[in-house]
This record gives sequence, structure tokens and C-alpha cells, in this order.
Amino acid sequence: MLYAVETLNLTKRFPVQKRYRDLLLRPFYSKEITALKDVNIKARKGEIFGLLGPNGAGKTTLIKILCTLILPTSGKAFVNGLDVTKNEKKIKKIIGYVVSDERSFYWRLTGRQNLFFFAKLNNIPNREASITIERLLEFMELTHDADRMFKDYSTGMRQKLAIARGLLTDPEIIFMDEPTRSLDPITAQNLRKLIKEKIVGEAKKTVFISTHNLHEAEELCDRIAIIHRGEVKITGTVEEIKRKLDPNRRYVIKLKNPQNGLLQSIYNLTSAGKVKVIPDGPFPCNTQIEVETTDSNGSISQVVKEIVGMGGDICSLYEKELSLEELFLEVIDTENRMAGR
Amino acid sequence: MALFIEKPLAFVWRDFINETSYKFSFLLQFFGIFISTLIFFFLSKLLGDTGASYLKPYGGNYFSFVLIGIAFYSYLGISIHSISKSIREGQMFGTLEALLVTQTGIPTIIISSSLYSFIWASFRVAVYLLLGGLVFGVNMGNANLVGALLILILTILSFGSLGIISASFIMIFKRGDPVSRFFTGISTLLGGLYYPVSVLPEWLQNLSYLLPITYSLEGMRLALLKGYSLSMLMPNIAPLVIFSVIMLPISIMAFGYAIKRAKIEGTLTHY
Repeated sequence: MLYAVETLNLTKRFPVQKRYRDLLLRPFYSKEITALKDVNIKARKGEIFGLLGPNGAGKTTLIKILCTLILPTSGKAFVNGLDVTKNEKKIKKIIGYVVSDERSFYWRLTGRQNLFFFAKLNNIPNREASITIERLLEFMELTHDADRMFKDYSTGMRQKLAIARGLLTDPEIIFMDEPTRSLDPITAQNLRKLIKEKIVGEAKKTVFISTHNLHEAEELCDRIAIIHRGEVKITGTVEEIKRKLDPNRRYVIKLKNPQNGLLQSIYNLTSAGKVKVIPDGPFPCNTQIEVETTDSNGSISQVVKEIVGMGGDICSLYEKELSLEELFLEVIDTENRMAGR
Repeated sequence: MALFIEKPLAFVWRDFINETSYKFSFLLQFFGIFISTLIFFFLSKLLGDTGASYLKPYGGNYFSFVLIGIAFYSYLGISIHSISKSIREGQMFGTLEALLVTQTGIPTIIISSSLYSFIWASFRVAVYLLLGGLVFGVNMGNANLVGALLILILTILSFGSLGIISASFIMIFKRGDPVSRFFTGISTLLGGLYYPVSVLPEWLQNLSYLLPITYSLEGMRLALLKGYSLSMLMPNIAPLVIFSVIMLPISIMAFGYAIKRAKIEGTLTHY
């Protein structure tokens, strides 16, 4: 199967800049930091693949390698089956790179002029460039502001123009490096909608997006890879990741005015795994119990049966799903614990 | 229009819009040309025939001598500085990364980025020469324009190669490029910009003949002020050709190495 993006044990190490002392005392000593370590990911065509990780995880480095801006130290990276180290020109023809840095535009040129300049650098003839730019401006809802200088654009408009620039060549794959960074929640939401509905839905592009925003990853991506300290910890759909990281099920049971003895008995239930009791809620269902079951085949029924059997009065019961954020933190916490932090 | 012309033109168009958007600064540049011409005109009046013997090979007039010096010296500055400047600006402003992911090769990006400076310099030279000829009476009636153009092209090529080496330093070290500093300083001192090389002590004169600027400025003056033919200009043309033939391949190799190293270190867009 030909993947839009595929990496095989991709590793990137950067040399650490020497201090004056090292230059004098150890001029030939070189120290490196690992930005990516044995990264293996596969992004399918037509999907939104999210690279999720905290700042400094290696997301930008990976995207830059895939966009041929950085050379890997070892391993392989392919974009549409093309090796990034050998096919720079071919890759540039099929990708769009949405640089989230607003300084990547010419501030005293208008939005339209900026797009025209980049169109020329992408070998688009004048007439075709004008038509494409007009279409993209409309697509990104920037037509009315196209002839204003870039410096007068709002952050949201700048980001939209960056996406328009990424789409100039009608690329098959679009790389977006934190496209909603520094946007207000409403603009970010609109931009996510635009990526999902228009760029992937209508234009049928493959989007490879990096983000540290869990909500964004959950809302936008078909599949994600959680990356931390240069290593991909887990890959899959949000559901798959949740199942992998947290196979147990959690339920919240609200009880009506339980007696102390009952709560003690619930703690000792053999059918339940971890039990957490949160007393003093609002009357009448003033006690909330979180029960974690290890067996999904009906053990919650057993728990309920036993509680009722002990005289418990259940007001409500629902399954509690861990958010991606909680799972993400679990991955990071585990990693930090293992690193001795 | 062929794409190889369209891309450089796009850079010129970009820079023109950018420069002219700073209206006051743009107009001020014209004023600067007039002022500097006027300064050298009065200086030449003050000097009178003082240095006539030194200036004899160039027609004997200090104003004509220095006017051509300052007019064409700007090409040296641009050839050496503009490429590294465009890289540095791209790194600092953040535009370099966006340029590097386009379907345009790095050499085209870098060279095209400095085109506007060359066009603007040519315009300035034309204004200098026009002012000199029409207002201050510099006589260029016998000028060998073909010879002057050839020397100009060789000047740009030889200094351009130094500029590319300078850009390679900037690509790796980001700041503190020794090539442009050294060559600009030494060329101003020894290249015959404000005074003929013949006024220098002999050992410094010998040093000056290692610099391409010496041949550029002398050749340009002889072509424009004395109307020397191509064969008469050969002592100036030949060293420039040799310099270009040696330095251009070296500079291109150095630049290729710098880009690869920056890509390995991930510092292509750092500043």
C-alpha cells in the first residue's frame, strides 16, 4: 500500500552548539541531542493525520524532514512513496506546507500580491495564477481583504492566507504545523471546520497536521500519533488509542443518601476494580461512586446487583470515558516517571 | 514568458513593491545621490590640479575619476553583500522557509533575491553619470560602452562569487562573515576608489593588484573616460576573467556545502 507519509525508524540528531569553554578546551568534542528517535508512522491518503505532542516533542522537526527542509540522520522518510533525501524536487511538487509563522509573508505586500509571488515560485503561469488565487481567496473567505496589505490582516486572516498559500499548487498532501496556534477559540474552531469540511471533505486532500491541542486532534484527526521526546508512543484513531491505553471501563454511579456501612461494603466489592467514593454531593443523590471494571462483559451488572442487594438506592449510572487529554497526560506522566522526573 | 525569467522578475516585482511602499525612504535615496555627487564636485574643485599627475591616465579630472569610482563601487558592495543580506533577512524575517518549500531551487532564490539591488544600483549609476555629464560637465563622449559593460559583467561575476562565499558563511554562522568585511574594507582602501592606486606606496600597490576591484575600477574609468578599445582594456579584463573562473566554482561548491550542513544541523532558517 502506498502511504501519503511513511517513516521507517526515522531518527534525527542535532549537534549541540558549543560553548566558548568547549571551543577552547574540547574543540573536537561534539554533543548531540536526539529530536526524533526511530519514528515509524504511516499516514494514509485522504485522511487527516495528527501529530500530537507537547512543545519540543519533535513535531516540527518531523514535518520539516517530510518537507525536505531538514535531512534525517538515519532511517527513511517517504512522501507519496518518494524518499525525502533523494526526491526533493518531486516532493515539492506534491506537497503544500502551511507555515504557521506569520512572519513568513511579506508584510507590505497585499494578500493577493503575496499569493501571486509564491505562485510564480511554484511555476504557475500568470493567467493560471490569477484564476487559482481568486478561487483560493474565495475558498478561504478572504476575497474582500485580498488587496489589503498583509500587515493589516488579523491573525486569523494571516493563518487563512497561509493555508491558501499551501493550496496554491493544488497539492496532494498538505503539511500544517500548528495551524491554529495563537488563534482565538472561535477562529480556531472555524479554521478546523474549514480544514475538515473544505480541504479534506471537498478538495479531498491528505492533511498531516501537528498540534499540541488535544481537543483539536480529537475533533479533527482521523488518526493520530502521540509523540513525546522524539518518540512516537502510540498511533491510531482516538478510539483505538483510548482502548489501548485504557482497556478498563469506568462507571459513575449516583446513590441516594447511602448509609456508611453500605459505602464500606462497596469498597470491598469483589466485582469492582478500583472504587472511588465522592460524598457530599447535592441532595438527594448526594454520593457519587466511580467504579472501574476490568471485565467489560457485564461486570457492571454484577456491581449494580450487589449494591442494590445491600440496600443501595441508585439514582443514575453512566459510563465515563477518559478524554484524550487524560490519556495524553497518562502517556506523558508514565514517560516522565520512567525518566525519573 | 520563460519561467527562468519569470521567477527572477517575480523577486524584482516583490522588492520594488516593498521598497516603494516606504515612500519617504524611496524618495530620500534620490536626494542622497544628488548630495554625494555634489560633495565630490566641490571636493574636486578644492583639489584643483593638485593630483593632476596621478589622474593623468584617466583624463586628469578628479571629479570624473571619483564619480566613476563611487558609481561602480556600489556594484562591488551589492555583489558581496546582497546575497548574504537576502539570506540573513530571510532567516530573520521568517520568509526563507516559505521560499525553500517552493518549487524554486535555492540558487535561483538567492541570486534572484539580490536582483533588485543590482537594478537599483544600475539606475543609481545612470543617474550619477547623467548628473556628471549634464550638470557637472564630465566628458564621456568617447566612452567605449561595450568595454564598460563587459567589465561590469566581469566585476559582478568576480565579486558575486565572493558574495556567494560570504552567503555560505552566513548560512552556517549566521553572523560575522569575514569575507565581505575583509574584501569590502581592503577594496575601499587599496582598490582605487577615492584615489588612484599610483598614490599608494609600492608595496601596497602590489597588494592592490591582488584585488579584482583594482582592475574593475581602472578598466571602467579607461573605458568610459578615455574610450579604450577592448584590446587596450585586456590588462584589466584578463585578471577579472581569471578571478571569475577560479572563484565561481569554488563559491558554488562552498554554497552547496553550506546548505547541506544547514539542512543536517536544522539551522537553515535559524538566525
